[in-house]
Amino acid sequence: MAETVMLEKEPYVPTDADFKLKGNDKDILVDSNFASQSFWKEVIARFRKKKSAVFGLIFVLVITFFAFVGPSMNSYTYSGQDLSQKNLAPRIPLIEYTGFFDGHENIATTKGTKTVNLYFENKLPDTFYWFGSDNFGRDIWTRTWSGAQVSLIIAVAAAIIDMIIGMSYGLISGYFGGKVDMVMQRILEIANGIPRLVIVTLLLLVFKPGMLTIIVALMLTEWVGMSRIARAEMLKLKEQEFVLASRTLGAGSMHIIFSEVLPNIIGPIITQVMFSIPTAIFTEAFLSFVGLGIPVPRCSLGSLISEGFNSFTTHPYQIIPPIVVMALLMLSFNLVADGLREALDPKLKEM
Amino acid sequence: MGGGRYLSSRSFSIGVVMKKYVIKRVVTALFTLLAITLILFILMQLMPGSPFNDEKLNDTQRAALYAKYGLDKPIIVQFFQYVFNMFRGDLGVSYKISKNTPITQLIASRLPISIGVGFAAVMIGAVVGLLLGLLAAFKKDTVWDTLATIISVIGVSVPSYVFALALSYQFGFKLKWFPMLFSAKDVIGSSVLPSISLSMFTMASIARFTRAEMIEVLGSDYMLLAESKGLSGNKLIFSHALRNALIPIITVLAPLVVDLMTGSLVVEKIFSIPGVGSLLVNAIQSNDYNVVIALSFIYSAMYIVIMLAVDILYGVIDPRIRVAKEGD
Amino acid sequence: MKKKILSVMLASVLAMSMIGCGSSAVSGVTETETTESADSTQSADTAESADATAAEATGEGSGEDLNVMLETPVESLDPQQATDGTSFEVIADYTDGLMQMDADGQAVNAIAESVDVSDDGLTYTFHLRADANWSNGEPVTANDFVFAWQRAVDPEIASEYSYMLSDIGQIVNAQEIIDGAKDKTELGVTAVDDKTLEVKLNVPVSYFLSLMYFPTFYPVNQAFYESVGDTFATSPETTLSNGAFVLDDYQPAATAIHLTKNADYYNADSVKLAGLNYQVIQDSQQALMSYQNGDLDTTLVNGEQVDQVKDDPAFQAIGAGYMWYISPNIQDVKELANLNIRYAITMALNREAITTDVLKDGSAPTFTAVPMDFAAGPDGSDFSADQTKFSDVCKYDAAAAADYWAKGLEELGITELTLTMIHDADDAPIKVAQVVKEQLETTLPGLTVELQQMPKKERVQRMQEGEFELGLTRWGPDYADPMTYLGMWVTNNSNNYGFWSNADYDKIIDECTTGETAMDATARWAALYDAEKIVMDEAVIFPLYTQCNAELISTDVSGIEFHPVALNRVYKNAVKN
Repeated sequence: MAETVMLEKEPYVPTDADFKLKGNDKDILVDSNFASQSFWKEVIARFRKKKSAVFGLIFVLVITFFAFVGPSMNSYTYSGQDLSQKNLAPRIPLIEYTGFFDGHENIATTKGTKTVNLYFENKLPDTFYWFGSDNFGRDIWTRTWSGAQVSLIIAVAAAIIDMIIGMSYGLISGYFGGKVDMVMQRILEIANGIPRLVIVTLLLLVFKPGMLTIIVALMLTEWVGMSRIARAEMLKLKEQEFVLASRTLGAGSMHIIFSEVLPNIIGPIITQVMFSIPTAIFTEAFLSFVGLGIPVPRCSLGSLISEGFNSFTTHPYQIIPPIVVMALLMLSFNLVADGLREALDPKLKEM
Repeated sequence: MGGGRYLSSRSFSIGVVMKKYVIKRVVTALFTLLAITLILFILMQLMPGSPFNDEKLNDTQRAALYAKYGLDKPIIVQFFQYVFNMFRGDLGVSYKISKNTPITQLIASRLPISIGVGFAAVMIGAVVGLLLGLLAAFKKDTVWDTLATIISVIGVSVPSYVFALALSYQFGFKLKWFPMLFSAKDVIGSSVLPSISLSMFTMASIARFTRAEMIEVLGSDYMLLAESKGLSGNKLIFSHALRNALIPIITVLAPLVVDLMTGSLVVEKIFSIPGVGSLLVNAIQSNDYNVVIALSFIYSAMYIVIMLAVDILYGVIDPRIRVAKEGD
Repeated sequence: MKKKILSVMLASVLAMSMIGCGSSAVSGVTETETTESADSTQSADTAESADATAAEATGEGSGEDLNVMLETPVESLDPQQATDGTSFEVIADYTDGLMQMDADGQAVNAIAESVDVSDDGLTYTFHLRADANWSNGEPVTANDFVFAWQRAVDPEIASEYSYMLSDIGQIVNAQEIIDGAKDKTELGVTAVDDKTLEVKLNVPVSYFLSLMYFPTFYPVNQAFYESVGDTFATSPETTLSNGAFVLDDYQPAATAIHLTKNADYYNADSVKLAGLNYQVIQDSQQALMSYQNGDLDTTLVNGEQVDQVKDDPAFQAIGAGYMWYISPNIQDVKELANLNIRYAITMALNREAITTDVLKDGSAPTFTAVPMDFAAGPDGSDFSADQTKFSDVCKYDAAAAADYWAKGLEELGITELTLTMIHDADDAPIKVAQVVKEQLETTLPGLTVELQQMPKKERVQRMQEGEFELGLTRWGPDYADPMTYLGMWVTNNSNNYGFWSNADYDKIIDECTTGETAMDATARWAALYDAEKIVMDEAVIFPLYTQCNAELISTDVSGIEFHPVALNRVYKNAVKN
């Protein structure tokens, strides 16, 4: 019916409005394939185009710099206590004349707010705690950065170990398939079915608490996700021609898995590692809250936050530095991870 | 690839293949649960300390308590006894947290509260996360994109206990909009702040995945095809793009749902919610074996059931996945 | 003889509640009760008249609920199964024992109308009051006590506090029943008739009456217990009240508990509150905000928040009874077996700094093995009032500590020493451990203290098994007598963490428990001093401080009675304007 009506009509004359060129933005005119570039060069170029990712990277680098240099920028140590100088508000030389960071704080008491400057009350004219001091009289600047250092080490180590274990597990499971896959996936299901908290707490209770134990505990919470991704990628790639070719040429299974397939899935793996770093920092903070964090007097960002938490409404300046550093770190890692994912995944690039 | 063939014979194949598939999965799930229970029993044995380690107890008393609760029997006997009782709906009694209270009673009053707060959190997190993710995907590489990313990540940049307390301070203490503490008399009102604090992680995850999936879907050939067919606006987004992006999103959401519904220590502690999350942590720390096992078992069961449901759902939505699984 | 034992009992409980937590201890709490004479323990009439005066003095209450913050949920409302302070407090709200605590922590008659003690101090005969009823209308009878006490020692029940009847209460056959050697019906407690209860003891126990307010000794109605079976005390329907309040909202491990005034209580006229509203709040800042909002009348304050509340008239430091101390493992760690090393450590500890700069909750520095303000002697003076009596072996003196340290190291032939200290993963112990580490390391050159934190259960187990070097631990008194502490350091006691052993010490303690000295209050007291001196001279423990809780108690509320022993808070006489 519709067709007959169409035929009787005048021949249709196309207008400009009928055609819209898909993806008509300025870079369609630029031919980026004029020279052969290495994969990584391309990745870097794509990554640099994404401003938020570059910002994230800069922040990560700056925080890492301070995490390793910051603690030695003044004379205090992370564990040195001075009970006569406890709970001092932030005070920075020179800036103090602006009225900010001059060592005063407003305490919201149950009987109204009062403003005090303990530097004057305790007669400490030449004492400066840039971020203030905590309830043991320890320097928060030093502790924040040394905490950031511990958190970074724990998170990166946990992420790398869980990458190695989770990736191998997933690749092997995916490559062999069949019974092997079946058994390995059931084991994974069981491991996943037990609440993480139970496993992690037990681990921390059974072994001596410390950085290594925490790293292992964090690894345990992350490896499953990594192995899933590795397995999925393996399932996608294992039937491809290059694997077949390699096998025909007599390559062993391990050679195919780790030398042939692995380099081709490095993109999603790296992205997952970047995402698991902030998750690890965060989980460590949770463990500190439950009392299973890094043993005192050492500190991590998480333990600093949970220590400062009790002073949250009394001396808020004690919790702000670790929170800000942690938030920036989390945000930056996430931005970097997002940027990397897009830079590494050519399919997304097409957009 | 072979979608057409399966689509044509869909009604036939679903009946036979699905039935076999579902039965196989359910049986495996049961064995997995049994294995988990056994592992939990072994883990409990590894726990240092005992539920009766008060310094005021002497060895005779401790022995008497072990005998009373049958903890002096070999682990394997305890395990079979437990499984046998479990089938009769008896999960044992608490040794410490709420002495001699049947765990079924303890959980019956608490689990609904955790599920309620958790469900509200899932809803808030999923809806807000989806919207943020869509915004970011459609306005990719603009300020909106970055902004949406920042908003979705900010909730997980600060530890949840700090976030929860800040919410409570601002909206409970200063503005007095909502109660600061959970109260049985005002369940809805007093669940608002806890649910929001809980939803942050879900929101961030969903936003991130929605963005990534939408970008992928929007760039795919069939979207281009749909668009060139003349489809536009809402229909294009909702019946084509979103629908396809939803599958991976559900995969991400499923385990989160289990996590949220089984309670969160942090939020329960701060808002004084009588849920199961804080119960689990207290039980672990006071070696209340039966409570740990029962709660872990519920967690595992919920996890496995939801994962099973998701898998089966996949099979219905996308036959290719089912076939791939069958082929394994 | 009868007189003497009573006087010991009276004196020993006299000053219990006056714990030395700064100047603000329990203000507005005790004045209404001070008119009450010590004799009132023997006469219900006097007690009642005192209550009447109290009621007059404070005027009629407005009949409101008192809103109280709890730190932890109730573990059990079964009086024979409960072991924690929160449970005891709630149980005592709705249950009266033979005796209850008055504002000063003295045992005053409650269900017992009067008590006769035999001349040899071995037989106690309690006469129960006629008007005491359970909330289901049944009278409270002597059988209820017999049933309850038999439960407490029944191996099938396996009550964790059964030692209150055996070791501490010394009731005839209690130990044998606990060990399974005798049947529970052979327990030395009999119902002569419905209203007369007779208790037989192995040896005279000077503080026996003060045990009667301990919830383990509270009555349970047998018929009711059997009618509710296993669900006993798990809901309002499965509890019976014979006390000032009735439980009407409770679930196991609940975060909110409510009790209403018991109109049928024999002393109902003196109860001013309409009810009690408990709210469990685990986060101290939420608790403070709730208090500021008016949702709570009383709340605990964290040391960090003291800066916020120290100018508030509602702020008080309340004695919690616990003494915190460090226990060295004397048997297994050869460096700690050296007395000079132990002296060095105890003298390097600046206890003042710990309490005033770190804890800030009013906790008091302690230099004795028995903490102050919970046990008073025959002359009414506090056992540990003089905190300087062991100052030659326990004080803060950095120079002396360094000298002892140098001497000790020389004897051991070492220059450096690393010690690990285990402590609980809770707020206060974590703080204290960090200061202790710093103090020891700065005062004693060559010493490194490593900290290891763990859940309390595990810490206790490790200390009992001797798998530690230094352990930060605490002990709360079970009854108002120095023996609750000194009994710990007897050879092979499971709480003698250092596995220290001293024959002289064991002999004194044995004499004071079951020997001749036990009969003579003054001599016993002197002997206990000697025992404490041995502990301190040998530096068996390094006492740190006696815990206080910083609390906010609304100025509208008065009459809450605080005790470091047994019942931490009693609300019977509380008034809210």
